[in-house]
Amino acid sequence: MDYTALYITLKLAMVTTVVLMILAAPMAYMLAFTAFPGKSLVEALIYLPTALPPTVIGFYLIILMGPKGIAGSAWGSITGGSLLFTFTGIVIASVIYSIPYAVQPMKAAFQKLDRRLLENAYVLGLSRKSAFFRVILPNSLNGIVAASVLVFLHSIGAFGVLMMVGGSMPGETRVASIAIYEAVESMDYHKAGILSLSFIPISYAFLLLVNRLNKDSSNVN
Amino acid sequence: MKKFSRKSITALIISVLFFSLPVLAEEKITAGVAANYIQTFKELSTAFEAKTGIKVEATFTSSGTLYTQISNGAPYDIFLSADEERPSRLFKEGLVEKPFTYAAGQVVLWSAKKDFCSSNDWTKAIKNESIKKIAIANPETAPYGLAAMKALQKAGLYDSLKPKLVNSQDIAQAFQYASTEAVDAGFCALSAVYSEKGKAGCYYKIKEAPSIVQSACVLKSSKNLKNAQKFSAFLISKEAVKIKEKYGYR
Amino acid sequence: MSINLSIKKKLKFLDIDISFSCPDGKLLVMIGPSGGGKTTIIRMLAGLDKPDEGKILFNNRAWFDSRKGISVPVQKRRLGYVFQDYTLFPHLSLYDNAAFAAYDKKDVDELFELFRISHLRDRKPHMVSGGERQRCAICQAIARRPKALLLDEPFSALDVVTRRGLREELKNLKEKFSFPTIYVTHDINEALYLADEIFPVVDGKADYGWMQRTVARDQSLRAARETRLTLAY
Repeated sequence: MDYTALYITLKLAMVTTVVLMILAAPMAYMLAFTAFPGKSLVEALIYLPTALPPTVIGFYLIILMGPKGIAGSAWGSITGGSLLFTFTGIVIASVIYSIPYAVQPMKAAFQKLDRRLLENAYVLGLSRKSAFFRVILPNSLNGIVAASVLVFLHSIGAFGVLMMVGGSMPGETRVASIAIYEAVESMDYHKAGILSLSFIPISYAFLLLVNRLNKDSSNVN
Repeated sequence: MKKFSRKSITALIISVLFFSLPVLAEEKITAGVAANYIQTFKELSTAFEAKTGIKVEATFTSSGTLYTQISNGAPYDIFLSADEERPSRLFKEGLVEKPFTYAAGQVVLWSAKKDFCSSNDWTKAIKNESIKKIAIANPETAPYGLAAMKALQKAGLYDSLKPKLVNSQDIAQAFQYASTEAVDAGFCALSAVYSEKGKAGCYYKIKEAPSIVQSACVLKSSKNLKNAQKFSAFLISKEAVKIKEKYGYR
Repeated sequence: MSINLSIKKKLKFLDIDISFSCPDGKLLVMIGPSGGGKTTIIRMLAGLDKPDEGKILFNNRAWFDSRKGISVPVQKRRLGYVFQDYTLFPHLSLYDNAAFAAYDKKDVDELFELFRISHLRDRKPHMVSGGERQRCAICQAIARRPKALLLDEPFSALDVVTRRGLREELKNLKEKFSFPTIYVTHDINEALYLADEIFPVVDGKADYGWMQRTVARDQSLRAARETRLTLAY
């Protein structure tokens, strides 16, 4: 029984989560604490991936990351290889696919903080940047962890986008969801069954964690 | 909730990113293979690995999908198509080395229900009232589907049967639909007939469908050119011929 | 040293237009009906909101001057500010809170002794009472050795007994302050007890007659007749 696909899925989910939490923090900060003209347009743009069918996202990513696309050709001139059908390519796809699932909970966690906490931080001399790291982050930890769990879960379920952007390169981009689909296609129901079963404990454990985190934060307040 | 120390979070992040660095690979090549050749290919690659120690990994899907992927830079080392046209197009575009024929296949009409084959003419059996759905691989991306469509047109049945046709992604999926009885019959590759599930049903040969000449080519962008070329040589070797004939290929 | 301000701001339901000053060591109370703009005024003094026009001077140095385009950010004004609630950081202990921006950490120990919360130094804000939290908030503000101390209804969320106690402690401590203190409240008794000067704000403007009228109207405000008070003109 080949577990490479599961390994790739988990690897992809972890890398996506780390990258996305770092990328999403400034976006969530901007949405939670600043006001500027056109803010609602920007916000809708950030949430767009939830409203689009995965194949649409995949389509535009192929155009962007293909050998003639902006991202793809830049990548090609730097590394000499293609961006599509590689692990890096599906990380990019996975990150874009899950952006809203990171930004939204983080923004909600930041907004839960009372403005006066932040204002007191400023009064006490903290710059906006210091206030973010020393006051906002430590007090929205529950929301941040919940966001990362959601991103993780969402990533392990990705299928359509990854199929289009990554193909199904064994050992590289053949994630578990694709491997299951292919196993069903070639009527290897045994393989499909084992891969599918292994998802359940992982997803269930993470859901319990999210539940516990949500309870925690409501207790403390 | 336990508070994670900054140190442990940093350690976690670093190990995850490190994790994602490319790992040194053993000797292996990656093949993009037309879906009709799945069973044959699996046996061929096992034999090749036993002989040379080079691992062969494959992605099985329609020739059309493989062609698109390769045009977009997919990192296959070798492409086994179900037709001649796509490899020759890629050769003209300068993406691959000279294509060569590695097999010739046949499209057949297969059904899981043995009484489907009681007639002596597939055109009669297929017009039967009880046949409500027929699987055919998408003619635009699967050469076997295209051959099936041409055969239907030649027999003058295409227009009348069109509403009953169910498109599948590739020829393997067409067989899957037929063997799980999601459809009543399907146009499949002859090789499917030789599998376990294939033997449980029955099939008609289709004389209106010409032999399907399948050619393969090595990609110029391959990072394992030598091994890919070794494998191409193997594909047409005597040993390979013996294996493919088992599955109905010539 | 002293604070001098003269500012205007137009809000949705209110037009603010006031001037006052407060010298070192004095405590000025801004009092008036709610919705009158007191909180906005004190926030502008702190730098958390911006006036439309006017000047805010500290020791004749401009913190804000609309004509010269000066606006010193809140971080640089070195103030102490006590909110009604949510002044303390939930993730830090009381000691860490008070020491957060302390000029000299030793001050914190002294202040804790003064306010009798030394035994709570390692507890987190949600584990102590409201009164103890506000005590810590005051320590946090004073430990900074601020140029001025601003308090916006600091005891309004507490029960009457705790309020009285804290009021007393603040009054005692105030004698040692070398900086100006601005105190916002809507409680007249509190104002009369604490203030060196009283500044009534009604509908965004100074209303010197308000005190007289309100005190006269409310017979329970006996304290008014018994205390000498100065009105800031």
